[in-house]
Amino acid sequence: MKNRVLEIKKLTKYYGNVLAVKNLSLSLNQGEVFGFIGPNGAGKSTTIRCIMNLINKNDGEILINGTAFDKDNISLKKLIGYLPSEIHLYDDLTVKEMLDYHESFYSEQLCERRKMLVKRLKIDETKKIEDLSYGNKKKLGIVLAFMHEPDLLILDEPTSGLDPIMQNVFFELIKEEKEKGTTIFYSTHILSEIAKICDRVGIIKDGKLLNVETIEELQNKNLITVTIETKQIDEIIKRLEVEVISRNNNQITFKNNSDINKLIKVLSDFSIDTLLINEPTLEEVLLHYYK
Amino acid sequence: MFKREMKINFKSFIVWLSVLLSVFLITFLMYPSIINSDNIKMMDELMSVFPEEMLKAFNFDISSMESAYGWLKSEGFVFVLLIIGCYSGILGSNLLLKEENDQTIEYLNSLPITRSKIISSKVTVGIIYIILMIVILGIFNYIGLSLSGDFDKKQYFLLSVTPMFSSLVIYFGCLFLSTFTHKTKKMSGISLGIVLVSYFFQMLSSMSEATEFLKYISIFTLADIRNVILKISINPIMIIISICLSLFFLVLTIIRYNDKELL
Repeated sequence: MKNRVLEIKKLTKYYGNVLAVKNLSLSLNQGEVFGFIGPNGAGKSTTIRCIMNLINKNDGEILINGTAFDKDNISLKKLIGYLPSEIHLYDDLTVKEMLDYHESFYSEQLCERRKMLVKRLKIDETKKIEDLSYGNKKKLGIVLAFMHEPDLLILDEPTSGLDPIMQNVFFELIKEEKEKGTTIFYSTHILSEIAKICDRVGIIKDGKLLNVETIEELQNKNLITVTIETKQIDEIIKRLEVEVISRNNNQITFKNNSDINKLIKVLSDFSIDTLLINEPTLEEVLLHYYK
Repeated sequence: MFKREMKINFKSFIVWLSVLLSVFLITFLMYPSIINSDNIKMMDELMSVFPEEMLKAFNFDISSMESAYGWLKSEGFVFVLLIIGCYSGILGSNLLLKEENDQTIEYLNSLPITRSKIISSKVTVGIIYIILMIVILGIFNYIGLSLSGDFDKKQYFLLSVTPMFSSLVIYFGCLFLSTFTHKTKKMSGISLGIVLVSYFFQMLSSMSEATEFLKYISIFTLADIRNVILKISINPIMIIISICLSLFFLVLTIIRYNDKELL
């Protein structure tokens, strides 16, 4: 049995009388990438801030490697790399000074790792932090979170502000970390990111964890819809035996009940004008769980 | 972290120190011409018009404006108490709070460091800067007074040290109060208010018996300049109260901050 790196037990948090997170329990195994998905205001950041001890929980427990994670547990803090959704760093410092400052808190030599990350994320160390764009600040935040090779990475909407090229570099880094056995808690509201890198996903809404399931299970929910424009609609329906959602002249939208490769193979036998494969929106996934 | 704190607080230290040094530099430069003119006689005549209580409030009854040292004992140390008091209040208010106001606390909190360590690093820096300001000002005024004429060196030394007691209590008091909010702007106003109201109370307390009780709620009672001028000694009770109050506020700060929601 794999080690449980992070365990959240019955976490409850109120802001005054307003409920933010209610009775949330989940656990992450070593080397797992866990997607934590939910709309804005669902309680994702509150959960993360409770894990990081930035705010006090009303009830519940956070365990890291089986030990209660208290505010002042430095040995456990060393195991965590944290990237907040909105990164705020010291504007008066240059990137180099910021990285030096960060390094000074760790006894290990982080020089090589730092160089590698700075190079791959294309960060200019001479620039002042106040002059960095939002995206560049995010890149610096990634370096700071990854630099000390933590066992547990807590990432809150890590790709916001990153351009598509940098997003790819970031996903490569995530994959490398996963291969090394790093556990990753990945909070986002972008479904495609979850499908790309996560092993399991937890869905949160209104402070409540609706469900935890593997990516395969989520994909098997048949929430992907396909839109085709063709003159051979009837033949396609016959061949695929699909559940039609809407039909409009030469255009049809249906739920894909089969494997996507099989679908493309079948469609290749027809003359298709346009083909759109739509991943479900977050709202559609949430509606699915409310049904 | 200590080095960084020293660096980020250096600029404001220089600004406040410059204000203080400028006041005294101008006085030392102007005083010889004031003393040698008829103005000083006019000033003495003007003083005699004021009621005794008023003169007592500004220590004019036990010091004279005839020398730079006399001015320093009366008006000069009012500036020292007020300016170092304001500096200490703002410093205490902002040390911990700035990280929350700028939201850099989210980063700092993720580092392998305890909250108590954050407090100790920042608090030490604040104490160093307050002491440094008092020491630099003391040396500067010593040189200025030496060039202006003769003065009681022991009395001067004790007078120079006295602002430390009120300043440290203001500093720790504001540090503690800052744990109740997340915004520096609000807290800076409160700390300045505490200093000014406290000084006003202290002034009023020496004016009549009816207002004497106000000295018990004024922090500036701890910087008992009048006692130093008259007895050439610092009341040990004031030292003990200052240390106890400072430690009391520090302990409360640690307790509050360790339990505080940082965002």
